Amino acid sequence: MTPRLDYAAVERAAAGRCLKLPRVPHRGKVGEVRASSVGSSLELHDFRLYQPGDDLRHVDWNAVARTGELVLRVRQDEVSPRVEVLVDASQSMAVSAEKAARAREVALWVTTLARHGGLEPVLIAAGQASRRAAGPATRTLLSALEFDGKDAFDLALKRGPPLLPCGLRVVVSDFLFEAPPDVFAERLARGAAGLALVQVLDVEDLDPSAGVGAKLIDSESGASIERLVSSSVVDLYLERLEAHVALWRAAARRVRAQWIQGSAGRAVDELAKDELAALAVAA
Amino acid sequence: MSFGAPLGLLALAAIPALVAAYFLRRRQPPRIVSALFLWRTPDQRAEAGPRFQRFSRELSLALELLAVGCAALFLADARCGETARTSHVVVIVDGSLSMAAEVDGETAAERVKDAVAKLAREEAAGVMTIVESGVRPRLLAGPQLESARALSALEAWRPAQPAHDLSSAVVMARELSGSTERRLFLFTDGPPPKSLALPPQVEARSVGRSADNTALLTAQRHDEGGVATVTVRVGHFGAKAAKVTVRFEAKDDAPQTQKVELQPGGSAVLRVGLKTSQPVTVSLPDDALAADSRVTLLPSPLADVPVGFFEGLDVPALAAVKRFLAVAPGVTVASPELLSIGPPDTRARLTLGAKGATRSFIGPFFAQKAHPLLDDVMLGGAVWTAGENPPGRVLLSAGPVVLMSEEDDGAVHLNLDVGKSNVQRTVAWPVLMGNVVRQARLGKPGFPRRHLMLGEDVPVVTTAGSTWLVRSPSGEERAVLGVGALTLPPLPAPGRWELFKDGERFDALEVLPLDPRESDLRDRGPWEVHAASQAGVASLATVTPRAFWPLFVLLALLLVDFWLTARVPKSQLPVGRGPGRGAAPR
Repeated sequence: MTPRLDYAAVERAAAGRCLKLPRVPHRGKVGEVRASSVGSSLELHDFRLYQPGDDLRHVDWNAVARTGELVLRVRQDEVSPRVEVLVDASQSMAVSAEKAARAREVALWVTTLARHGGLEPVLIAAGQASRRAAGPATRTLLSALEFDGKDAFDLALKRGPPLLPCGLRVVVSDFLFEAPPDVFAERLARGAAGLALVQVLDVEDLDPSAGVGAKLIDSESGASIERLVSSSVVDLYLERLEAHVALWRAAARRVRAQWIQGSAGRAVDELAKDELAALAVAA
Repeated sequence: MSFGAPLGLLALAAIPALVAAYFLRRRQPPRIVSALFLWRTPDQRAEAGPRFQRFSRELSLALELLAVGCAALFLADARCGETARTSHVVVIVDGSLSMAAEVDGETAAERVKDAVAKLAREEAAGVMTIVESGVRPRLLAGPQLESARALSALEAWRPAQPAHDLSSAVVMARELSGSTERRLFLFTDGPPPKSLALPPQVEARSVGRSADNTALLTAQRHDEGGVATVTVRVGHFGAKAAKVTVRFEAKDDAPQTQKVELQPGGSAVLRVGLKTSQPVTVSLPDDALAADSRVTLLPSPLADVPVGFFEGLDVPALAAVKRFLAVAPGVTVASPELLSIGPPDTRARLTLGAKGATRSFIGPFFAQKAHPLLDDVMLGGAVWTAGENPPGRVLLSAGPVVLMSEEDDGAVHLNLDVGKSNVQRTVAWPVLMGNVVRQARLGKPGFPRRHLMLGEDVPVVTTAGSTWLVRSPSGEERAVLGVGALTLPPLPAPGRWELFKDGERFDALEVLPLDPRESDLRDRGPWEVHAASQAGVASLATVTPRAFWPLFVLLALLLVDFWLTARVPKSQLPVGRGPGRGAAPR
């Protein structure tokens, strides 16, 4: 029987590692990591023309002497970046116990890595209702998380509070919904210094069994069609799935996000070693 | 609406099963999938979504239910409206040979076919029954066959019956008409015989035409010593005297011709001898009736009769028999024997002798005169000494003593003490023995006679343990049922009929298309007799043609259903394998 959440496996997978943060500036609390917001640290961020109300102490007089324009030296803050983990809690994530467990474990693995790096993870689960937890409470939320959303992930996310600027946003979903990938990926990337899209697919999603007639029921809408699931029909499905994933991969590339696909048939420590390795670095 | 075969409605019992199958099919095992849109075709998504699928399934069910309904209607022979009142026209056609007479380039049979077709049109015949008259009337089409098929059957009709009475065909037609009031149609080529009392329902019409005709009236052949002696009688049925050339042909001898002058209504007998063992064809010049101008006569040698003797036959009897055998043609002492002769109480076919106390008779003798064994047997002046009565049916007796008897298996007992009688020295003895030999010869398997006239019964002898059948000149086969000496009904067509035993040709006979009454065409001519009955022209059909429209609708529904359920939309073809490249999800 597949456990809802294998804590030990997640701990093993996260041992000695922390989250790999993007090189671009982050947003978050004042801390050790440079933020994308303008601040008062000594690191030069940019130059811009003076605007009424600006602090005159930041005027770069040398530049003024060279250009005759009132040029301000803009400096960066040093922040402790916020890590946001978005979990798709729609019913499609629970078509099998393995898929649901793997989604929980991947999300927990990311939050664990964040904590290893001294960051403050925020977990947002968008299902029938939007649930939010931060810090150690993320573990409790994931443990009790039910995949009960009857709408596609993008719609569920719209119902929740707006996404806040953050340092790194990790989205755990199967991305098997009909929202335009470009638009949704751009929305997910907005306000985030880094974005990782982790697609968790069930074994039956990746390789459906063929051979019998079946009433195919959509896990979220309940709509159904009857189909003889022959090998040619499965081939057709796989071609469509491949094209769908390709569209998401392209959308992720356009917003400079990482695209990671993992099978629920593999254990989380195996995923962490291979597919998810790009998200982690040695602590 | 009515139903010709209401039991066909039982097909409707398939509807519950079909509906059950539909719902069972709808209840396929559910399978939860993450993304249904990846399984759905773009057409379905774009046009109707999942409802289309349900709709097509329900449409399929509706089509199948309609198909079952149509099948039930067809099987139940549903009819309604006009078809329930289809008229039934009953026609009798004269099947006599003279109907084949060709005058002015058209035979009477062809004129009958035209007339029947016209009648069917005029009477709007839905179904027809066509009876051919003959020695034994037969059904050409029907009963109550669709008119098109009946007329088609009539087209293949070739009349070749001997002269006959039409009344039996009229009776048969009346029975088949299903009505004693409605009129029947009779087509013939001559005046109705005075002996034929036409019922008032019969509307008779003659399509015959008068013509001169010269015909072969009889033909015989006798083979002996390698010579075929052919004897024919030629008759002339014309207004003036005519000179006729008769031609005799055989494959292995030169043809011979004889010329003869015939008076109107006169005839002449011609005889020729041909050195042949092959069939001989006798022909006259072509005239109105070609059928009676040409006959083929098969070789008809006298069949050998091997005779055997049982032990115990007394010396005088043996001597008397051997004296007869010495002069009888075609009889030899050989084995296996066809005719066995022995003393009383043996299983011989002919027992000869007297048991017990004997008595002599000089008469009177009482004989079964009609019996072939006693043909021409004259016992005047004979002294017959007999013993105890033999078993079997009595053929000849004197007082209480049975002199000759026959058992059911054909064994003949002659209760005759040859030593004390003078029968063997009278003319009756060779005649009696000749009759015995002839009967034995007739018991030989095959056709006893090689030539039969039209309408004659067919004698044939078969043996047990074999399959016998006769094959007509046109190749049709009919089984011969029974064993021993049989009499078949008259063969319906002139020409060569062959007898087959266990698939092997065994014997043959020729039915000669000769009948003087049919050859005389002088009194043929058109006439009409209108039916006295004023009732409707045709009866109402009790059998109407089966309506085929439910079958056509059924086929159409099945085709549409097949197209609906089995078609693979182009959009479902895998990408790259068809024009539906755009099927990939967006």
